[in-house]
Amino acid sequence: MTPDPTLTITGARQKRPSLLQKLVSRALARNLSCLVVPGPEVALAHGLDVTAAGMRITATPRDAGVLLIVGELSEKMSDAVAVLYAQMPRPRAILMLGGQTPSSLPDADICAGLSQAELIDAADRLKHALAEGAFTDSTEDFDASVLHTRIEYVCPMHPEVVEDEPGSCPKCGMDLVAHEAGDSASEHEHEHEHEHDHEHHHDHESESESESESESESEPEAHHYGHEHHEHEHGHDHEHHSHHDHQQDHEQEHDHEHHQDDGHDQDHGDEQQQGHAHEKAGTEYTCPMHPEIIQHEPGSCPKCGMDLVARDDGEDEDTGEGASGHGHDHEHHHDHEHQHDESDDHSEHEQSGHDHGGHDHSGHDHGEHDHGGSGFMSMIEVTKDLPRSADGLQMDWLEVPFGPVFSGLPGGLKLTLTLDGDGVTEGQATSLVGMTTEGKEDEAMDADTFIEHLSTAMPLAPVSYRLLACRAIEQAAGLEDDPEISRAREVALERERIGSHLGWLAQLGRQLGFAWLAQRASTLQLEIRDANRDRIAALEPAFRTLGTRLERTPLLKSRLKGIGVLPSESSDLRGPVARAVKEGGDAWARLWQRLTEISASLDLIKSGGEPELPVLRDIGDVSGTGEATVDTPRGEARLSLKLERGKVKSYQLDTACRHHIDLVAKLAEGQELGDALLAVGSLDLSPWEVIS
Amino acid sequence: MYAQAFFVAVFGLAAIGFGVVVFRTSSMVRSALALLFSQTAVGCMFLAMQTEFLGVLQIMMMATEMSIMAIFMVMFMMDPGGLGGMDMSHQKRFSIGAGVSAAAVAIAVALLSDWGPVAEQVADAEAQTRALGMELLGRSMMIFETAGITILTAMIAATAVAIPVQNLASKDDKEASE
Amino acid sequence: MTVAIVLLALLGGAWLLAVIEGWVTTGRLRPGAPMLSGLAYLGRESIVPRSPDRVFFEAAPVLLLVVAVLGAAVLPLAPDLIIADLGTGALFVNAALAYVLVALIMAGWGPDGAYAMIGGWRFLGQLIAYSMLIVMPITAVAMRAESLVNTAIVGSQTSLWNIVYQPLGFVLFIIAAMALAFRSPFDLPTAEGELAGGVDAEYTGVRLAVLRLARLMLVVTLASAATVFYLGGWHGPLLPPWAWSLIKTLAVAVLMLLAGRYLPRIREADLMRWCWTLGIPLALLNIIIVGVLILVVP
Repeated sequence: MTPDPTLTITGARQKRPSLLQKLVSRALARNLSCLVVPGPEVALAHGLDVTAAGMRITATPRDAGVLLIVGELSEKMSDAVAVLYAQMPRPRAILMLGGQTPSSLPDADICAGLSQAELIDAADRLKHALAEGAFTDSTEDFDASVLHTRIEYVCPMHPEVVEDEPGSCPKCGMDLVAHEAGDSASEHEHEHEHEHDHEHHHDHESESESESESESESEPEAHHYGHEHHEHEHGHDHEHHSHHDHQQDHEQEHDHEHHQDDGHDQDHGDEQQQGHAHEKAGTEYTCPMHPEIIQHEPGSCPKCGMDLVARDDGEDEDTGEGASGHGHDHEHHHDHEHQHDESDDHSEHEQSGHDHGGHDHSGHDHGEHDHGGSGFMSMIEVTKDLPRSADGLQMDWLEVPFGPVFSGLPGGLKLTLTLDGDGVTEGQATSLVGMTTEGKEDEAMDADTFIEHLSTAMPLAPVSYRLLACRAIEQAAGLEDDPEISRAREVALERERIGSHLGWLAQLGRQLGFAWLAQRASTLQLEIRDANRDRIAALEPAFRTLGTRLERTPLLKSRLKGIGVLPSESSDLRGPVARAVKEGGDAWARLWQRLTEISASLDLIKSGGEPELPVLRDIGDVSGTGEATVDTPRGEARLSLKLERGKVKSYQLDTACRHHIDLVAKLAEGQELGDALLAVGSLDLSPWEVIS
Repeated sequence: MYAQAFFVAVFGLAAIGFGVVVFRTSSMVRSALALLFSQTAVGCMFLAMQTEFLGVLQIMMMATEMSIMAIFMVMFMMDPGGLGGMDMSHQKRFSIGAGVSAAAVAIAVALLSDWGPVAEQVADAEAQTRALGMELLGRSMMIFETAGITILTAMIAATAVAIPVQNLASKDDKEASE
Repeated sequence: MTVAIVLLALLGGAWLLAVIEGWVTTGRLRPGAPMLSGLAYLGRESIVPRSPDRVFFEAAPVLLLVVAVLGAAVLPLAPDLIIADLGTGALFVNAALAYVLVALIMAGWGPDGAYAMIGGWRFLGQLIAYSMLIVMPITAVAMRAESLVNTAIVGSQTSLWNIVYQPLGFVLFIIAAMALAFRSPFDLPTAEGELAGGVDAEYTGVRLAVLRLARLMLVVTLASAATVFYLGGWHGPLLPPWAWSLIKTLAVAVLMLLAGRYLPRIREADLMRWCWTLGIPLALLNIIIVGVLILVVP
């Protein structure tokens, strides 16, 4: 009994439909959990109440059964969404609201328009489809080009060894480890592997030069000793603090007797090798793990059985530039250890670096004995070359993408954070949905089309941009301001400002796990979206209570105070973010700035008239240039355009978010993860308004 | 009686098994948690031997201690996930020797010492706990209090020693920049 | 028989909590919803992420479930309705709950995902903050009962519940219990807005169902512990003892569940600071006050 093919969802699970399956299908249909793409705030801005349609909004694709796409997606976004879809457990369905299903995804199961009534209807149809067709005999595999990643194999110790096939490292014989190659555009929030070591090697190998430069300003002890040890011989003064530092470290770690040396003990591994190289020229074979093993013929290491590696003279990659990553330093840690671990094997040490390498170097020897005393791999040894973060701990760094569909951030914004532990060492934000054009030169756009285009491109503030476009075009057409119309428009703008700020509050609630705030602000936002003047006035007490509730909420102030502080002299700040600078410029000040603006807008609406969406007045076939500025909810936006016979020939748009997105790197750096995300969130970035 | 011996044996073997896993895996986290479960099994042995307080205490303390060890492993060790197939065992010859001789000594002590007559009746857990409390806060109070204070002092001292390192370093920075 | 009753009570408690949670979030009271969603989870694929630590990944949800059940096993519902009335019951609750941490570390490490891993290790940081606030209030409770036996602890509250005798301890214990159950505002390891679910993030299907159930049961177990330690356990007029235990337990559980709705997530650093600079001194003060009361008041 094959089910009606029309009633099988595209992401059905392969299983023979049986009685139990039917029961489960019913349960699935009653339990719709959806991942909203680009984000719940976009759905809210469109006036869609997903929860009221009987669906639960989830934070991860792993927990979602329905992919709810709101509006058209940009190309980059579609690729990211394809990865999300692939991560959703089957049975999964796609619900597309307003627009075409992106080509990277299978066809949507249900398509509907962007309205609450259609959403509810679509949800019902989806429930039906799920109840009938959640399980089927045959399923099609979902496959998209963005899902294909090249797997490469790297050696954990030698990051420079990269092979296409599994095998062992030619240098040390270790098994190569699978590693995802490159960063494709499809990188999604969950797409990562924490192969700490390799990532670390990769990162720092390629960037070791710039890294050490940037670090040297703030943290001199964070240098890569592997590269630096030449300096030890010449420039003691330069490296003074690092020696000091390490000396201290060693005193703590091992109770060693030889600390009168000036900290050179870390590097004797290199020195040994050098020492050898100078004494014995010609091809030598050495063990990657035991540099004291030097033979004139190829073979395996008598200590660990690894294949010996050939080298011509002392100038191998250890002493070379850049190429020597941290892997080599780690080798030396191993070698300390192994030397002492097997110190009963003195026969091998006879002709090895142990004697002359260890003891004959003027002034800075003994290192080995110190470590030998403990017999363990010293953690300080192991980590000394890792970059240090603000808290002084040295750990592997992890580059983690947050977004573009992430419950704590506006949808479409992709934040790439380099984390060490729970701290952010580096942050970078990009928009996957921002407008990509500054006005195409070749094709002129009809004035009305242009207005539509601009306002749909900014789903979080459509009225503001509609108004902006209208004003600029009317100015270009040389029309006089009609006070009646501009007042009605102004009121509509203020209404959107309230809605937008409420949307931000809901977003804050989601980010902070403050469920009450998220729910309350969303409800108010939905109510005010299309409200008339009387309705808005009636809502005033609700806003006032919201303010007092937030003021009284325990923990909120301590959570927001001092987060994401923007200095008062920073330029390029606009809108609420700029206005909050006087009050301290942190997330708490921005919260109150927005609440104040909500009540100010309320007053304006009460004294104004009925809100009216901006509609372009008749302009005729005029030509000219116009420029307009609108104070959008996120700050000032400027538009200048050129009109030619009633068509928009070219335009230039400048928005607040375009400038604000550059603040992210500075706000995130050195913060704890939660604080960094909160700081980024408090900017109220709209990725759509980021123009690239 | 036999059931008790059976459970002691099972948990003992489990403890040994997890102990072996500690060195047979290449992942630091697995290693740390295997050690945890080995210790938990020892705690269960205590339980099977009717020393309830010690068993529960062992089970409780090890969970946190080994977890903290695991995070230190992850923080500071290269390749904590064991992706490179690192070998956990070192000093093989010495450690085999040490292990075998220690086991021999332990077995010898177990077999050779005079354990006295077999107790017919063990005090119940509550009485044991009470007796342990009396011991800890009675005759042995000085010892335990001294040990406790010493450990606390050591911890504070270690922290105190650790902090100036950073301060000195930053002071040096300042001097260097001036 | 006792085992079955206690397990049923645990499951029932978890079910009731799920219903209430759904009621609060959606505004609709649907008694069948938890069963339906459980069934739906069974119908979903249970995906194993790429290159996981399979042992940890599989074991973590089960371990969390076992921990919750073990904790409940030593807590009495009525004088004779207890699976194991251990001589060290109060300590055993602690010991069992310590493995919540182990389960979360496993769940964090297992799936090979950064969000999960950070979540798992965050819970360890959190433990360092709150663990003393679990142990020290229980110490004061055991001092009054002069016993670690849980039935004796309830017995010691016949005349006066501990919530009145040592209110400070109760407050500290509830806060620490919420942190241990990683409920909002202490949901640092799962943090939806920060880590997209953290330790939960990579679980799907059956495994997620087990994880969710275990979390709810953990809340019930902790609420039951609070009832036994502070709310006089089964004591109460008119109703049979087991009913009082259930009512009190559910009241505490609902309190723990709902408080988080009205609070933003706490900062880790703040949690640590407040617990150590405020919580531990208060817990010590609580022990001293109780000690003085025991000695002075006959």
